[in-house]
Amino acid sequence: MSSSKPGYQIPRRSVKGHEASWVKSFNPPKASPPTPELLAPTNPVPAFVAANIPGATMQIPNTQRVDLMHGTELKTWDGKKLEFFLIANPDVPEAADGIFPGPTIRVPRGVIYHGQVKGHGQPPHTVHWHGIEPTAINDGVGHCSMEIGDYAYQWQPNHIGSYFYHCHRNTLQHFEYGLYGFLIIEPPDAYDPKDGKNVGGYPRRTAANLTNFPKFPGFVGGSLESGDPHAMTVPYDVEALWVIDDIDSVWREQAQDAHQTFPEHGDEPGINDEFHFNGSGKYNFFAFNDYNPDYFVVTGEYFPGRVGGTATMRSGVTVPAAYNSGVEGMQISINAKINQTVLVRMLCAAYVKINITFPVDVVVIACDGRSFGVPPFGKYNHPYTLKAGTPFEMSTAQRCDVLFRTEKPMNTFAQVEYRHHLSDAFLINGRIPITVK
Amino acid sequence: MKRRDFVKYAGGGIASLIVGSVMPSWISKNPLLATTTKLVQELNFTITDAVKDMVTHNSINKAQCYFWFYKEKTFPAEVPGPHIFTTAGNTVKVTLTNSLDEPHAFYISGLVDSGPIRPGETKTIEFTPQTAGTYLYYDNLNAPVNRVMGLHGALVVMPSKAVSGHRFTPYSNPTPSVQQLFDDFGSTEHFPGIAWEAGDDATHTPAFRQYVWVLHEASSRLFEEVGKYTPGKDYPAAQFMKAFQFDRYRPDGLNKKPEFFTINGHSGWFAAHNPYITPNHRVGEPVVVRILNAGLSMHSLHIHANHVYRIGVNGVVQENPIWMDTLTVDPLEIYEWAVPFIRPPDVPNERGIGLPDKPLMSIPNPRIVGSTPHPVWPPTEELNIHLPDIGEKVGDYDLAVQLSPICYPMHDHSEASQSSQGGNYGLGMMSGLHFIGDRNTPGGVTTFPNAPTYHGPVETGTAAGPEMGMDGSHTMTSNTTNTNARTQIINNPINTDPVKNEHQSHGN
Repeated sequence: MSSSKPGYQIPRRSVKGHEASWVKSFNPPKASPPTPELLAPTNPVPAFVAANIPGATMQIPNTQRVDLMHGTELKTWDGKKLEFFLIANPDVPEAADGIFPGPTIRVPRGVIYHGQVKGHGQPPHTVHWHGIEPTAINDGVGHCSMEIGDYAYQWQPNHIGSYFYHCHRNTLQHFEYGLYGFLIIEPPDAYDPKDGKNVGGYPRRTAANLTNFPKFPGFVGGSLESGDPHAMTVPYDVEALWVIDDIDSVWREQAQDAHQTFPEHGDEPGINDEFHFNGSGKYNFFAFNDYNPDYFVVTGEYFPGRVGGTATMRSGVTVPAAYNSGVEGMQISINAKINQTVLVRMLCAAYVKINITFPVDVVVIACDGRSFGVPPFGKYNHPYTLKAGTPFEMSTAQRCDVLFRTEKPMNTFAQVEYRHHLSDAFLINGRIPITVK
Repeated sequence: MKRRDFVKYAGGGIASLIVGSVMPSWISKNPLLATTTKLVQELNFTITDAVKDMVTHNSINKAQCYFWFYKEKTFPAEVPGPHIFTTAGNTVKVTLTNSLDEPHAFYISGLVDSGPIRPGETKTIEFTPQTAGTYLYYDNLNAPVNRVMGLHGALVVMPSKAVSGHRFTPYSNPTPSVQQLFDDFGSTEHFPGIAWEAGDDATHTPAFRQYVWVLHEASSRLFEEVGKYTPGKDYPAAQFMKAFQFDRYRPDGLNKKPEFFTINGHSGWFAAHNPYITPNHRVGEPVVVRILNAGLSMHSLHIHANHVYRIGVNGVVQENPIWMDTLTVDPLEIYEWAVPFIRPPDVPNERGIGLPDKPLMSIPNPRIVGSTPHPVWPPTEELNIHLPDIGEKVGDYDLAVQLSPICYPMHDHSEASQSSQGGNYGLGMMSGLHFIGDRNTPGGVTTFPNAPTYHGPVETGTAAGPEMGMDGSHTMTSNTTNTNARTQIINNPINTDPVKNEHQSHGN
C-alpha cells in the first residue's frame, strides 16, 4: 500500500442541487440592501462624541459610522513600514483617515444601535460585531448574507461586557491587516449625565457578580429584571485596554493585493470553479496557511523586540478620547493609585496563542462579553481568582475582563508570552508596565 | 432520507456505529443519529489507505491528499473513521486488520490499547467504558505520525440513565452546575423550549440532539512522502513534526505545512451545509457538541449567534461552566459544549436584558416594498430577502439564496485554517449554527421557510456525491438491509405535510 497505489479513492462530494449556496460559501454577493425590521436608532454616543470631541460631527442621527479603508503604510517600532487596512470614523477628524486598531466603540446596553458601514478601496467588506448576536444579515458574514457597499447594521446589545468588531471579508487577511476595533457594552445609563457622573471619564461601571469579593467597593447586586441600570455592576477607576496582536511582515510584503487568492465560481459551479484567481494568473496560490509573526503589538503600541527575546512596552500610554467614543483616559500601560479598582479588558487578536501572567492576584469577572455569576444565564458559573504568576491562556478572538485592587504600591509588569499556534514554539515575551502609587 | 442519500452523507466521521444489544432510547429518539446508524455487536475495522479529493478539487484544479484510516467493513471509505456510540457499561469489541506495511494500533486513553498489530495481522480487543463522555480513538504508534495521517475517530459514551430525580446530561456524574443547566433547559423563563433529552415528533425534533466535531489538519506533500516511504519502516516522527510545524515558508505555499483544515474530514461548504455536522434546530432546542482535536495545531473555535456553555474539558465535567463564544482547543484536547439555542439575544426586544422578551415593533422601511410595522422577531422581512437577488445567474444556475433559515457560521478564528491550498478563504475549518424556527413564537412552533427542504435533520434534499462507488470496492446496496429498521423514521420527511411546511407569519 502506498500513495501511488492506495486501497481506496474518496471522491469529493458533488454540490448538485445546491449550486447557489456553494457559490455563496466562497464568493459571496456584493450588495447594499435596506435594513430589514428597521427601528429608529437610539444610541446616545454619536451625539456625545459630536458635542465633546473638537471638530466631530453626527451626520446620521444616533448612528455610528464605520469606514473600511485600504492600503495605508504605517511604521512599526523599528521604522519598518508595513501595509495596513484601517477602520475610520468619518465623523471624527482625528479618526477620519483610519487608525490602528480602529476606534473603540462604546454602546450602552439596551439601545438600538445602528452602524453605518461603507467600504472604500478594492474589495467589498463586512463588519462582524464579534460576540454581539443579532439576526444573520446584521451579523456581518458574507457567506451567510452579503458583503457590503453600504449597509446600516442594526442590533440591541443585551449583555454588558467586552467585544470587538472586524471585517469578515477574507477574514484571514483583512482581520490580520488591521480591520478591527474594540467594542464595549456599558450599563444603560453610561452616557446619561443626569446623575452628575463624568460621562466622558472615570469612574465607569461594568457587569460583574462580586458578592464573594468584597474588596471591590461599590458593587450593586439585585437583578436585571428589576430595571435598575446598575444591577449586578461594579464601578472601576482605571480602565486598561489590551488588544494583543501579532503581525507577519512577510505576508504584508508579499500579499499586499487584497484580492490575493480569492476564489471565483465557474460557469458550472462545483465543476470548474477558479480557486487560484488573482491578478497574476493561474496556479499562483499564496501561503495564507503559513503564518509566522515577527511584530507584536498591544492596542497599537508595539513590544520593541524580536522573535526569541523579551521586550517592554513604553509606560504611560493612553488612548485618546477621539478614538474611544469620547472617553478620556483609557490606558494601555497601567498607572493607578493604591486602592483604586483597575479593570483590564483583554482581547487576543493574535493568530498565535498567548499566555498572560499578572504580577498581582486578579479576579476574572467575565469572558467573551459574558460576566460570570450574573443571573439568569450566568447562574451556572462564578468569578474566580487568578493567582499572581499563573499564566492565563488565550487564543484568537477571546476576550477576558479582570479586576485588581491593591493596597501596596508597585512598579512592575504583566507578561504576555506568545507561542506559535501550529508548533507551540516560543515567540516573544512582551511586558506591559503596571505602576501603582 | 433515501438510502442513496444516506450513503453519500455517511462516512467521514458522520456515519455512526452503535455498540450494544439493543438500540438505546437516546439513539432511537434521534433520527439525526438513527439515519446514519448501524447497531452492531462488534466493530470490524481495516487499517488501510486512500487518496481523497479535497474541498478545492475539481476539473481544473487538483487538490488531493493521501491518508491512512480505519475503514469500517460496510460503510464507505472516509477519513476520519466513523463515530462510535455506546452506553456506559456496554462492552465494545473491535476486530482490527492491518493492511498497511508497518505496525499499527487502536488506542483510547484510559480505556484500551491494542498494542502493535503487524502488517497482515488481525487482532480482536474488548473494553467496557464505565464513564460517559467523549473519547478519541487513534493509532498511538510512531506518535504523532499515525494519528495525524488519519488513523483516528470519535467514541461517544452516553450515560445509561439520568441522575435520579433529574434530567439527562451527557455525563454519568454531572457537577451540580451542569446538572442545573440541563434541568433548566425547557423549564425556565430564560430557556423556554424543550429539554435536551426531549424530542417532539410533531415537529420532527430529535431528542438528545448532539454533534461530534473532529478537528484535523492535512499536509498533502508531507502525507504523500509518508505514503512513499520505505515499506515496513516507520517515517521518522521527528522529521514529520519538523516538516509539519516548521517547514520553511514559501510564498507559493508549496511546503510541507498543512494546507487543508477539516471538521469530520470536511471543509467549508461541505461541513457547514452538512446536517450531520452543523446543527439545524429551532430556538428552544438545546444541543450538545463534542469537540476533539485529532491534529497538531491549536484552534480557536468561534461560534456565532449563541454563546455556549463549556461543560466538559478533557473528561472533567466543569464545576464552573463558563459561557463563551470562542474556545481554545489544543492538540488531543476534548471539549463538550451545551448550545442553548436561545433566540440570538441581541435581536431588539422590550427590556434588552438577554431574555426572550417581546420583540420591538419595526417602523416601515421605505426601501422595502410593502414594509409595515411588525415585530422584529421572527424577522419576516429578513427571511424574505434573497442575496444575491433572484435572477442572478451563472449558466443555467440561479445563484439567489434566501436568508431563511437563518444561517450563522462557526469557524476557527486562528484564521490560517480558514484557507485551502494557501488561499480560498471560506473553504477551511468551519461549520455553523442554523436556526430553522422558534418553539416560542405566538401561536406555537414556527418553522422558517426552506427549513424542511434541505436544512432539516430528516430531509436533507438532493444529496451531494457521485451516484455510485463511494467506497471504491463495495456496492452501496451491500448493507441495505441494515437500514430497513430505520425506514419508518426516515421516510417521513417534514415537507410531506403542507401545514407544517407552511411558514407561519407573525406580521401584524
